[in-house]
Amino acid sequence: MPLRLDPLTRKKLRRFRSLRRGYWSFIMLAGLVVFACVAELFISQRALVVRREGQWFFPSYGGILPGRTFDLDYDWETNYRDLHTRLKSDPAACARGDFVLLPLVPYDPIENCYPDQFFKPRPPDFARRHFLGTDTQNRDILARLVYGFRHALIFSVWFVAGVYGLGVLLGCAMGYYGGVFDLLVQRVIEVWSNIPFLYVVIIVAALIKPGLGWLVAINVAFGWMGLTYYMRTETYKEKARDYAAAARVLGAGDARIILRHILPNTAATLVTFIPFTVAGAIGSLTALDFLGFGLPVPTPSWGELLSQGTKNLTLAPWIVLSAFSAMTLVLILVTFVGEAVREAFDPKKFTLYR
Amino acid sequence: MFLRRLLAVSCLLLAACSGSKDPAPRAGSNDTPATIDNTAEVQAYYAAHPDFFVSKTPADLPSDLAWTDAGDLPEIGSPARIRGGVWNERIQDFPPTLRTVGPDSNNGFRNYLLDDYVIKFGHLHPDVAGPHRHYPGLAEAWAVDAPSRTVYVRLDPRARWSDGPPVTTDDVFFMFWFYQSSYIQAPWYNNWFGIGENYTCVTRYDDRTFAITIKEARPDMLARVLENSPVPRHFYREVGPDFVTRYNWRFIPTTGPYVLTPAEQQRTLTNRNSITFERQPDWWANDKRQFRYRFNPAQLRLRVIRETPTAWEAFLAGELEAFGMNLAEYHYDRLPDSDPRVTRGLIHKSTFFNDIPRPNYGLWMNTARPLLADREIRLGIQYALNWELVIKQFFRDGYSRLNTPSDGFGDMSHPTLRARPFDLALAAEHFARAGFRQRGPDGILVNAAGTHLSLSVNNGYESLTPVLVILQQEARKAGLDLQIETLDSSAYWKKVQEKNHDLAFAAFNVGVEPFPRYWECYHSNNAYDQPFLADGLTPNPDRKVKVQTNNLQTIAIPALDALITRYDRSESLDEMRGLGRQIEEILYEDASFSPGFVRPFYRVATWRWVRFPENFNVRFSTDAFEQNVHWLDNAVRPETLAVRRDESKSFPPSVRSYEQWKVKE
Repeated sequence: MPLRLDPLTRKKLRRFRSLRRGYWSFIMLAGLVVFACVAELFISQRALVVRREGQWFFPSYGGILPGRTFDLDYDWETNYRDLHTRLKSDPAACARGDFVLLPLVPYDPIENCYPDQFFKPRPPDFARRHFLGTDTQNRDILARLVYGFRHALIFSVWFVAGVYGLGVLLGCAMGYYGGVFDLLVQRVIEVWSNIPFLYVVIIVAALIKPGLGWLVAINVAFGWMGLTYYMRTETYKEKARDYAAAARVLGAGDARIILRHILPNTAATLVTFIPFTVAGAIGSLTALDFLGFGLPVPTPSWGELLSQGTKNLTLAPWIVLSAFSAMTLVLILVTFVGEAVREAFDPKKFTLYR
Repeated sequence: MFLRRLLAVSCLLLAACSGSKDPAPRAGSNDTPATIDNTAEVQAYYAAHPDFFVSKTPADLPSDLAWTDAGDLPEIGSPARIRGGVWNERIQDFPPTLRTVGPDSNNGFRNYLLDDYVIKFGHLHPDVAGPHRHYPGLAEAWAVDAPSRTVYVRLDPRARWSDGPPVTTDDVFFMFWFYQSSYIQAPWYNNWFGIGENYTCVTRYDDRTFAITIKEARPDMLARVLENSPVPRHFYREVGPDFVTRYNWRFIPTTGPYVLTPAEQQRTLTNRNSITFERQPDWWANDKRQFRYRFNPAQLRLRVIRETPTAWEAFLAGELEAFGMNLAEYHYDRLPDSDPRVTRGLIHKSTFFNDIPRPNYGLWMNTARPLLADREIRLGIQYALNWELVIKQFFRDGYSRLNTPSDGFGDMSHPTLRARPFDLALAAEHFARAGFRQRGPDGILVNAAGTHLSLSVNNGYESLTPVLVILQQEARKAGLDLQIETLDSSAYWKKVQEKNHDLAFAAFNVGVEPFPRYWECYHSNNAYDQPFLADGLTPNPDRKVKVQTNNLQTIAIPALDALITRYDRSESLDEMRGLGRQIEEILYEDASFSPGFVRPFYRVATWRWVRFPENFNVRFSTDAFEQNVHWLDNAVRPETLAVRRDESKSFPPSVRSYEQWKVKE
């Protein structure tokens, strides 16, 4: 069944496509997201394909394959780079057609890539496939950037879901019911907004082991207020329109009026804010990691890379350059998309009530 | 840490406000609300404890005492020293108080007010080993009477407080009153100096002669008496319930060489970027043996520099005289031996191998936890921790392996015990004996009940987190999963003190002491409320873990308790040495402490105008400046600064390692 969009939405999408900068940014961003989702196929210590004595292995996903699987004398995860060199240098194996296909960057983000050498940042080395160099703990920077981006994305998705869930619900309720409820929640929001977010994060991070879930929860707890005001005004506006009154006359309940009639008409506002919320989420996660209150070690994260980079500005400029460029690129893309969405969904151009 | 910083910031704001309105408060001692005089209270206290505070006449002194002034000990410092110059040093924060006891006083600034600069009755000689090696400070001579557990001390008649009055036995009596007083809000002092705790009696014979009797004639008896500094009676007349606020910003008269002048205190009311101590030109110990070649700079200027990278830049700019190079990154990368500033002889690099009790960095396993109660698992963990790799990669081979929790006490440490190496085969063997034979899909061992071999490691040292990451990644090879929990240092310590840890990454820092302590960390009294049943051997099934103690392993072994009790009561070093070795062997067998690493040296980079004695420093020193044997050669400073700008010239470089006290393996 073909996807049936209403003409207005189709028009908006057409308009979005015609905004070249935003559209291409969107394509690139979507590409990056897809890439981050399947990063194991490009950046991983695990091989893509191993063929050995006629057997095929695809280690990228799933449980570990211990070294014994390939007749190596250990029970922990196979070192595929090592296996690769072994098979290559073994004429018998080559004759059998055994091979190991390694990903483009054959390193894990938390892997110590120079196990027999000092901890020291090393500059980009194309021969060893460290395209962006290594960090202060001998880990591949590209791998940390990509997997860090993945964590930032997961964080953003949960953050946006949380903020929208709370913000939309309360905002709609405030606008729809108005009166004392509206006044009360407004005061609560005013008080709540004055709690210094960073201090709370620092205190909580000091007391518990901060995982992704906690970080999302804290950030949502202090991030939902902004959206309520937009939703409140939108709902106030919409509920006074004739169609809302008509629905009420026909006997629709509050929930139906809010969800089926008012909410879809405020979608433009909601959609417009998503990219900026995402940018904010990535920014705040990075800031928290930078300050050391973010994800537990040794989780790859941009903030941690930036923090390493600033401490080693003169010794290892490639660290800060990579992290900074990656962050700038992504935030610029998100912002371009956001601008385009805002323009495409601008009600001044497409409204039924013109 | 965060709260402390907040406090410091708010103090700063308050001070700035009050300073701008009223330019002359607080610095002197005459601005406080109402003057009080506690003389009557103090006298009444002495009178109420006649068995503790005893007054006698010189005629009552035993006549057969063997007085000594330890005049045969070698002298500290170099006669080549030059006095004068300004020594610039970095502090991280402006001090929150000038008190040395009470809330907020236990911070780094206390070094300058007390630890490194105040003269005690006698000091441990930092170059001579053995138990009886004190040299006189405020004391002129002393005599030990072991049978009566008493040390007699005669004060040096020259000894004076920095504000004028001589040091007398009044100040010794008052020391006990002060530290026993609840006004100072310092429970540790109340306890240590409490009547009958460590000291049983203080006797005054005249203004210059006193005796202190202690509870047990342990081998460190002399240290417990001589290593105290009296408390100035004349300064603390106003000690009362408001001590903490009243004395917050008063500089305590000192027996040491450096003072804060009233003018400097006035200046720091509005400007807290630095604080400067001045050397008293007519300091009473200027010509006294052991002191005459030390404390050489005329001023100590402490600059507040919060961030280490900023301090580093200040050092390179010549604004700080010295910088600690203990971190491999600084020693090898930021200022390698090949750096032009080093090769041109502008900055000297020195490595000094010292010989002190070592902070025992390692993983402390809480045996009260279900998995860790099994000795086989603890043994498996011992073999699964790759400390060798940590030393190689993170510390770049400079450090060495810690072998027991009490290394560095000379022959009081165990001579032959060696920490268990990283050995995956042995780890697997021990884990298998504990029932962990299969690996799950993530490569972590699982037992028949489906329990993962997963443990948390608590960490409070942000800068040492990479150490744990190495251990974690290596332990995975053994099928052991370690979850690193890095917390803020005070929250971390609270958690460990509540015994809410599986493994804790920790170290106890020890001062230069003649022998290790065991009771705090290993006695069952500090592990459980009622560790054993009535027979004293069977573990009590209903026992509860005791919190807020240093027994981080929750270790409770009856045989160990008995040894510790004997050790603590022993009056002979030889006996203690034997007992200590047995204790160490039991601890080794228990395998609940995985010894980590030791830094057997300190490294420092100094500008060319900073000079040290021929042998650089003393054997028992924890850093290069603790004993104040360095000096500034101000004649050299201008030419050094000139050459710094002219790249065609240079001086002979100096990159030296002093290994005369290096401990032989």
